[in-house]
Amino acid sequence: MQEATCAGCGLTANVKSFYRFDDRIYCEPCVGKVSGEATTQGRPAQYVALKDNSVCVRCGADNGQVDFPLVGDKPFCPRCGELVTQWPYPVWLKTSLAFMLALLLVALIHGKKYFRAGSDMYKGERLVHEGHYAEALPYLQRTIEIAPGSDKAVLLLSRAALLTGNVEIAQKAIQGHNGGNFEDTDNQDFREVDALWKRAVSALDKVEQASKLVEQDGHAEEAAHLVHEAAAEYPELSGLAITAETFDEGADFERKDYDGFLAITQRQWNQFPSSQTAAAMASALACKYAVTGDAQYRQQAEAMLDKAHHLGANDPAQNKSYEEYAQRIQYRLKSREIISPSEYNRRFRANQTKQE
Amino acid sequence: MFFIPGPVIAALTFPGVIVHEAGHLFFCRLFKLQVYDVCFFRFGNPAGYVIHGKTNQFLPLFFVSMGPFFANTLLCMVFCTAAFLPVWELKVSDPLAYFFYWLGLSIGMHAFPSTADLSNMWELAPQRAKQGNVLAIISLPLVGILYLLNFARMFWADLGYGIAVGILGPIALFRLLALA
Repeated sequence: MQEATCAGCGLTANVKSFYRFDDRIYCEPCVGKVSGEATTQGRPAQYVALKDNSVCVRCGADNGQVDFPLVGDKPFCPRCGELVTQWPYPVWLKTSLAFMLALLLVALIHGKKYFRAGSDMYKGERLVHEGHYAEALPYLQRTIEIAPGSDKAVLLLSRAALLTGNVEIAQKAIQGHNGGNFEDTDNQDFREVDALWKRAVSALDKVEQASKLVEQDGHAEEAAHLVHEAAAEYPELSGLAITAETFDEGADFERKDYDGFLAITQRQWNQFPSSQTAAAMASALACKYAVTGDAQYRQQAEAMLDKAHHLGANDPAQNKSYEEYAQRIQYRLKSREIISPSEYNRRFRANQTKQE
Repeated sequence: MFFIPGPVIAALTFPGVIVHEAGHLFFCRLFKLQVYDVCFFRFGNPAGYVIHGKTNQFLPLFFVSMGPFFANTLLCMVFCTAAFLPVWELKVSDPLAYFFYWLGLSIGMHAFPSTADLSNMWELAPQRAKQGNVLAIISLPLVGILYLLNFARMFWADLGYGIAVGILGPIALFRLLALA
């Protein structure tokens, strides 16, 4: 610690309590006095406080009469001088930072599937908003695989699925989401999907009702009417329009309008050539043969029956179905008698079932 | 609105305090300013501090004062982005994701520079702005806004900022990625 002596009163003390004025050192009372006199005489009266640069400002280390080097404008002992110019990062801080970065890396790797699911969801959302529902489906289905509990993703997928007639996809997504429970049932997206879902379910209920009706003789017309209603109610399911035509076949058959029956089956065969449409056309041609006796119809019916057999040869279900209707059509061709499937079963299959 | 004592908030969000002070220290070292004392966290007001030497240069002053604001904001966005999708959008119960959300929000909450930092900037910025210092010109409105936000801390502006950065940031990022 450095000491100084006042040029005015002779007081000796730490240099920090003295001031320099006019190249002389004074204590506080004396410097006030001489500065005041200088002001009266019109001389400069400024004075500056002296610093004790032998004491470290940070740790208070005393260097005796020798000044410590200044860092900036303050004296520091060598240890503190090094510290203030190059303050070290604590080891725990560096360790924590490294740990945090490692954890972030783990989270990013672990979260890769979430990034993909999220990215798919945003792409799907954009496509849904642009009206490209079918294109949105695969993106949103991938999202649901990772996040079946996400309201947003499930509602987007259900909306896209219902607007493209994919009721099964929507049903699976909704049921997979907390058994069909949603957090916010007041939001616009939920209400839209709910309305779509109710429309689809109502249409499918009508189809189910029609399927039961058509099994009973004399209700084909009513059944066809129900399916047409369903197709109009839920036009997004394009299969319903085709189903309605199939029910129209039954109604025409029941009304004995075999020309109408043939026209529908012919159109369906042209549009969707398959074992089923070939069989339906064979049935209509057999009816025409039965009522007209025109051999051309018989030949055509037999040819269509062959096609039905050939097209369904690799499918066990279609093979079984072929066996059922082929016997009835052949009976019609042989006897020229037109009877309903239930009547045919009553006459020729009741015993078979009992024997089985 | 409800009152929670500052030390309790600081304790619950201590990583943000540490990151903020580490940011000050980093920029002090980068611009070779003397550091007289550092406290990364304590139960008191302020919860952390870095006492450093003064400078008349605007660039070091800007980064030492504002650096933690940018660093905390960036880290908040990074950590919250890692957790945003499972927590907010996909509703997947992933403990690691919740941990990262807490970490991100804690860091984001302590992004605002202190009024002392802002005062230092405010002392020098107008003078340097008059001399045509672009950074000083830009920083003037920023310092003004941050002053206001600092006062709005009593209305949870700091938490609001963390949430905004931690949610709006990732939303913007993922929407951009979806467009790509």
